[in-house]
Amino acid sequence: MLYQATHLTHYKYEEPVAQCLSETRITPRTFLRQRVLKTTLEVHPEPTVLERRKDYFGNHVATFSVFRTHDHFTASATSIVEVTPRPETILPDISWEEAQLDFAVHLDDISLQAYEFVFDSPFVTSSFELAQYAHPSFPAGRPLAEAVQELSHRINTEFLYKPKSTSIDMPLPEVLQQRRGVCQDFAHIMIGALRSLHLSARYVSGYLRSGADVQGAEASHAWVSVFIPGYGWLDLDPTNDVIPSDGHITLAWGRDYGDVAPVKGISLGGGKQTVEVEVRVTPVQAL
Amino acid sequence: MNETKVGAKTEKMEWQYQPTSTHWDEAIRPSGMPRHHWRKLYTSIGRMGFAQLTRRWQTGQHLIQTNGITYNVYGDPQGKERPWSLDPIPLVMDGQEWAKLEQAISQRATLMNHMLGDLYGAQRLIHQRQLPAALLFGNPNFLRTCHGIEPAKGVFLHTYAADLARSPDGKWWVISDRTQAPSGMGYALENRLVSARMLPSAFGQCHVRPLNRFFEQYRESLLNLAPNRDNPRVVLLTPGPNNETYFEQSFLARQWGVPLVEGADLTVRDNRVFLKTLSGLEPVDMVLRRMDDSFCDPLELRGDSLLGIPGLTQAVRSGNVAVSNALGSGLMESPGYMAFLPSLCRQWLGEELKLPSVATWWCGERATRRFVTANLDGLVIKPTFPRLGHHPEFPAYMDSAAKQVLLRRIEADPEQFLAQEQVALSTVPVCTDSGLTPRHVVLRVFAVWDGQSYSVMPGGLTRVSIEANSPVVTMQLGGGSKDTWVLGDDAESSMPSDGGRTRTYAPRGAADLPSRVADNLFWLGRYGERVEAGVRMVRALLPGLSSEEDFGHTATIQSAVQLLTGLNYLPEGLDKTSISQQRWHVGRLLSGMVYDPSRSSSIGWSLKNLRRAAWPVKEWLSQDTWRVLQQLETEFSVTAPVHHELRLVAEMNLLDRVIVTLSAFSGLVMENTVRCNGWHFLDIGRRLERALQTADLLLTSLVQSPFDIEPSMDTLLQIADSSITYRTRYFTEVKVEFILQLLMCDESNPRSVGFQLATLVQHLRSMPANLQQQGSADSQDEEHLPLLLAEKIQIMVQQAVLEDLAARDSDGNLAALEELLRTLKGNLFDLSALLTAHHFSHVPISRFKPSF
Repeated sequence: MLYQATHLTHYKYEEPVAQCLSETRITPRTFLRQRVLKTTLEVHPEPTVLERRKDYFGNHVATFSVFRTHDHFTASATSIVEVTPRPETILPDISWEEAQLDFAVHLDDISLQAYEFVFDSPFVTSSFELAQYAHPSFPAGRPLAEAVQELSHRINTEFLYKPKSTSIDMPLPEVLQQRRGVCQDFAHIMIGALRSLHLSARYVSGYLRSGADVQGAEASHAWVSVFIPGYGWLDLDPTNDVIPSDGHITLAWGRDYGDVAPVKGISLGGGKQTVEVEVRVTPVQAL
Repeated sequence: MNETKVGAKTEKMEWQYQPTSTHWDEAIRPSGMPRHHWRKLYTSIGRMGFAQLTRRWQTGQHLIQTNGITYNVYGDPQGKERPWSLDPIPLVMDGQEWAKLEQAISQRATLMNHMLGDLYGAQRLIHQRQLPAALLFGNPNFLRTCHGIEPAKGVFLHTYAADLARSPDGKWWVISDRTQAPSGMGYALENRLVSARMLPSAFGQCHVRPLNRFFEQYRESLLNLAPNRDNPRVVLLTPGPNNETYFEQSFLARQWGVPLVEGADLTVRDNRVFLKTLSGLEPVDMVLRRMDDSFCDPLELRGDSLLGIPGLTQAVRSGNVAVSNALGSGLMESPGYMAFLPSLCRQWLGEELKLPSVATWWCGERATRRFVTANLDGLVIKPTFPRLGHHPEFPAYMDSAAKQVLLRRIEADPEQFLAQEQVALSTVPVCTDSGLTPRHVVLRVFAVWDGQSYSVMPGGLTRVSIEANSPVVTMQLGGGSKDTWVLGDDAESSMPSDGGRTRTYAPRGAADLPSRVADNLFWLGRYGERVEAGVRMVRALLPGLSSEEDFGHTATIQSAVQLLTGLNYLPEGLDKTSISQQRWHVGRLLSGMVYDPSRSSSIGWSLKNLRRAAWPVKEWLSQDTWRVLQQLETEFSVTAPVHHELRLVAEMNLLDRVIVTLSAFSGLVMENTVRCNGWHFLDIGRRLERALQTADLLLTSLVQSPFDIEPSMDTLLQIADSSITYRTRYFTEVKVEFILQLLMCDESNPRSVGFQLATLVQHLRSMPANLQQQGSADSQDEEHLPLLLAEKIQIMVQQAVLEDLAARDSDGNLAALEELLRTLKGNLFDLSALLTAHHFSHVPISRFKPSF
């Protein structure tokens, strides 16, 4: 599938901002199943310095500063992305305990890479409660691929998708207790549950094809990727209870939201601020 | 007499000191004789006797107080500073043994720097499985955003410190590594200053190696690591005055002549770091940080911290600024790495590790975990990645239930735990009330990158446990410290060159005064003056409360009520009530002004704000000034006597004392502060506040009082401290015109508005030209310059026609005067706001809301 994805973030300030610094991850990355054919990034007001680099996880980062007084700020990225469907291969039946051991031993570089995502990160701390939550889906000897699909399904049914019911600073145990949230929370819960079992999971930010009957298409979306030894990374979207294929466009991945937040920034002054995000993903014909 | 007798039989004199047999004693051999390198000190102290030593110690304590050497205790936001605790007997180190330690520390620093280079680069250690990946991936101090940043000259670790302990067999062990922002070297230097003065002859005889060269080297290395420029600017970044080692930070900043700055004093533009000074933005090339790296940049590092400098990481990445130690260096503080050092040392440096680490078993490996669980009792259990609030656990002191809990925690998260052997720390004699007693000792040693390798400070910070059998040695819990004497040869050490005196460097002056400091000095001036105004007013009004008839010129109760009503301190209409009612109200109000700091009109309130303004600029005030401020606070912290007459007397006495203390404060500020821009701002604050107070006083006592101003005039003149001048000039005739002449226009009366304005104008004129034109780019408008406004106000007052102002209109009011005074007040408030807008950038930073 070929898409045009537009991601617009707009900040409005009550008081003038003398200067701001910002870091964005709104340019999709290229990897096995995804190719970025064209991409542009526009910032308003015109930034003084704009720099691009790749971060530790290989995501595209743009850093910039604005040094003139402004009362609104817009960052918008437009990309043409080609996504190929997930191949219909049969998932390996390695049990979750064997997988656990595989990470712990990490004999090759691939599993060493996966091992990094077994550990706690600033937004996702493993806990006894999360392990307990995961437990029913992880009976002894069950294949990991099967277990994680069920976990994703359970989160989808047992948690209520409710915009504005959480903030990103809400500690995971609280989200677990109140059983509601948005896609970021669903992803964090699932990652936390897996890490509490010493399994490897990472956070993926991206977009959904609009129009379909899915949650989270109006803004940027988030889901989970689980490492299955012998197969590789398997994406799972607990918010929509699907295995992402060519309807999901990947922006960036990391340990949690903090590693891949689409727009971060610090402003000098500004007072109260409001933020609006607009994401539009439309299929396009070949260029 | 007694002492000289003892002195005569020096060799036989023995310390009354009994070390335990189970630990190594630094000073005394098991035979009871002093160790070879302790002999000179032993003899010298023996000759001196314990009584004399105690006296010397008191001198030392006094020195510590006058130098203001303090240590902040965490969890006490009001900044409970504890005087630094220093024992008079130094730890003596043998020169040859030290040479070995020096090499070992330098080797270890080199090794750690290599490891940082690898872990923040190619990570071969992980890929080749020489280091368990969990020790990197699970380490919260591994800052992924700093991965791939190559620091200047490849030096991650500019400063390294290690804590050393000596076991009963006399061997030294490294018990912890400090790679984040090592503290203690400033205290070590202060200890030297004090100890060399306490024991001058012993110090001379022992040929103690001097510390000054190390501090010179340190300063030089900062300059050498700064990228780009010929004349680099170095700043010392502090987390602020509440940090535990704030004293040391300000001491070192002064020592090296570099500005002590907080995060808000720095800003990043075009990937360069700048210091916000009164004269504009000055480029910064090297940031010596005393802040944990994760707090240093709210944009790329910890998002929940607003302490640091947004954009610092990107500036470092661009190679425009160096940070010492490099961002991310905190990684190596995990004791988990210790077990892997010997093999890495062999492999990388081709030599054996010269100084062993304390035996460490990381529970992330199955075999070692098994060993740990089987040998729990003999071990200390620690978190693999040290963080605040996680303390070592001692299974030996646990019951079996607690041990089971600990074991379960280890099994659940083995990577997070490690076990260490408990070193039976050596002892050293410490001077206590009951004589010399043995205390456990931990020695912190320091190394700095010198361009080729690491130079080690010939000395260190010796810390001793608070009790003889306490295994924990920390300044936080109230342990003490000692100077560390490394014995050298005659050539290197000489008394005059050292004694802690090292070359000090003058700061760059005006250009380095951070705007935040100027702001605080301005408010320090304003609140100081406000306290004084409050004291003067209460003092002038109190006598009116005594039930006896007024004598001569004391204020009457009516004029007090008028004044206080005019100032909105008392409700309207009180003057219509009975005298005793009025007296009760005034008495209660004045008591509140003296004793109740929760009222915003009270002296205590102003005093609280005075302290709040003074605290962050402590290092800009002289020690005496600081002490006077503390005395003021003590004076006001007494509670009021219940009986009202006793209370009156007590209040009077208190205020009489306080007014003297306050004059000491103003005197010290005038006499002991360098006339730099900072001083200008302090005095601008004072003058502005005094002009406002006087204008207010004139307004309430002249304009808002009834026709007959005579009774309130006395009060007015007393509060304005101008009674005598008035009587000398105008005798007893009371005229509004005269009062205005004296208190408003006369530029030679230090209490008049005119005098304050003239001084303000002078201050503002003396600012460098670029300083006057600073301010936000949008308002370069000339009208908005503080100087011009000040001049405008001054002219307004100078041109006032007093006869017109003193003339009453048809309603019997002084309308023209009222208008002038109100305009004056309004203009003064504007001037204050303008100064703030111009010179002190206060805009708070905020984070973007999260967006999805």
